[in-house]
Amino acid sequence: MRKYEVLFIANPDIDEDSLNGVIEKISGWIQASGGVVEKVENWGKKRLTYRIQKQRDGQYVLITANMEPSATKELSNNLRFVESIIRSMITLVEK
Amino acid sequence: MSEEMNNEQEHKGPRKFIARPKVCQFCSDKNIKIDYKNTDLLRRFVTEEGRIRPRRQTGTCAKHQRAVAVAVKRARYIALLPFTSEPYQDVIR
Repeated sequence: MRKYEVLFIANPDIDEDSLNGVIEKISGWIQASGGVVEKVENWGKKRLTYRIQKQRDGQYVLITANMEPSATKELSNNLRFVESIIRSMITLVEK
Repeated sequence: MSEEMNNEQEHKGPRKFIARPKVCQFCSDKNIKIDYKNTDLLRRFVTEEGRIRPRRQTGTCAKHQRAVAVAVKRARYIALLPFTSEPYQDVIR
């Protein structure tokens, strides 16, 4: 198990309920692969420095989780098929 | 600075490069963590048009410059830092 950060940008137009639904769905995926969600940080709506899918703003959410390294590939694949997520990144936290 | 000027005037030859003692700020302060989420810190390591500043400008050591470069690239991907300058982007828009 290693510590990872899953940062994703959600569509700015979705409301809080559906955003929480997305967060829950991702946490479910992490737990299903044998991981543990440590922390969920909602940064709120932020201006993007460049346009992504014609959006100028995005809702940033940072999830810190302990996961198996083999589970990250599936997770990043799953994140890609969530329509309300316009970009996501999984990074390893050193130490 | 005044010493440098005097030397130049005396020799009148090709200017000698006088190395300034630079200390990498991440080596001197171990508490600073290079993180792609820390945009305020990373903004100091990119030029106005968004390019990564070279080591000769930032004064960081090779190890930490590499870490900075990785962090800037991550921040760019997640749209926390621009790939190109903002005025240039506005032209495209």
